[in-house]
Amino acid sequence: MHTEKKVKIYSTPTCFYCIKAKEFFVKNKIKYEEVNVATDMKAREEAVRKSHQTGVPVIEIGHEVIVGFDRMAIEQALGLKN
Amino acid sequence: MYDLIIIGGGPAGISAGIYAARKKIKFLLATETLGGQSAVASEIQNWIGIKSISGFELAKKMEEHLMAHGGIEAEEGYLAEKVEKISGGFKITFKNGKSFETKTILATTGGRRRRLGVAGEKDFENKGVAYCSTCDAPMYAKKTVAIVGGGNAALGATKDLSVYADKVYLMVRSENIKGDPVLFEEIKKDPKIEILLNSEVTEVFGNDFVEGVKYLDKKDNPSTGSGQVKELKLDGVFVEIGSVPNSEFLGELVKKNNYNEVVVDHGNQKTSCEGIWAAGDITDLPYRQNNISASDGIKALLSIKDFLNGGK
Repeated sequence: MHTEKKVKIYSTPTCFYCIKAKEFFVKNKIKYEEVNVATDMKAREEAVRKSHQTGVPVIEIGHEVIVGFDRMAIEQALGLKN
Repeated sequence: MYDLIIIGGGPAGISAGIYAARKKIKFLLATETLGGQSAVASEIQNWIGIKSISGFELAKKMEEHLMAHGGIEAEEGYLAEKVEKISGGFKITFKNGKSFETKTILATTGGRRRRLGVAGEKDFENKGVAYCSTCDAPMYAKKTVAIVGGGNAALGATKDLSVYADKVYLMVRSENIKGDPVLFEEIKKDPKIEILLNSEVTEVFGNDFVEGVKYLDKKDNPSTGSGQVKELKLDGVFVEIGSVPNSEFLGELVKKNNYNEVVVDHGNQKTSCEGIWAAGDITDLPYRQNNISASDGIKALLSIKDFLNGGK
């Protein structure tokens, strides 16, 4: 099932859970936008402001903000069922 | 009904899976995430046969090795919730609501990060208190941070942070470093890093985000453990003090020790419950190492194979 919601991931290059999250999106054919908060300071501030914390990944699905690779929360936000 | 369900996908689970595939055992490997705890390590220098590899790459290589065998059933997103005895085996229920039946179980669910258990730690989790340096180190560019711990994971995290942060403290509770001297020598050479031995963190404080820690400086009295409470101004605290076993889902079915580790026969990885084996960091083994977990997973699998064949 495809979602209409916009998906954005705030990540760092060496973050295992960021890579796992992106793999999950690819596997489920979810289009996503990625920003690297290790180099993009504006994006970093945005991630902290939106999630009220400093951990990555921060995943934005529509208006929902998910911290970490929380597979169940992501599936729910995307309306995926398996 | 499966012949075997391997719960957990770190080095113990994947090694067992590879051996199970080659022995054509009908099995399912169900795990939260393939790769294990060291998947988040920036560098592993002691995996036999490979001089240096990132935790992520090693995780990928192990996964590829497993999946190279045809018809492997390996599922991610599975956190075990409970195990029940049924006729001829066990029923495992996972937190995603699914359940499966199997003749035998190999539990390789490893451990999760040990928390400091001090005031403020929970309140500031992800607000300065962090547990994954390869994930979050860049967020501390030009900041002051402390790494708490004295094992290889702590030493690795200290290196990761020194790439970004302006000042890095390594806070070790005891007088000695548990990690490899090879790594420690590297850290000692880095002018950004200051090592505080005999320093026990007692509180994390701040407002919206972490602003520092209080710690007991036992430097002058390491034997008695008494000392002076001091304060350190910090933007971040990375906690790397080992793991606690993910053994709750086994309930009372198997014998555990006081640390909640599953007690096994270290010759064949059998637990106290016939039909359940355990390997890796979930067990009462004294050493936490990828190579050891892999080897214990294999021992377990070979013993399971004998059991399924009607032997002991």
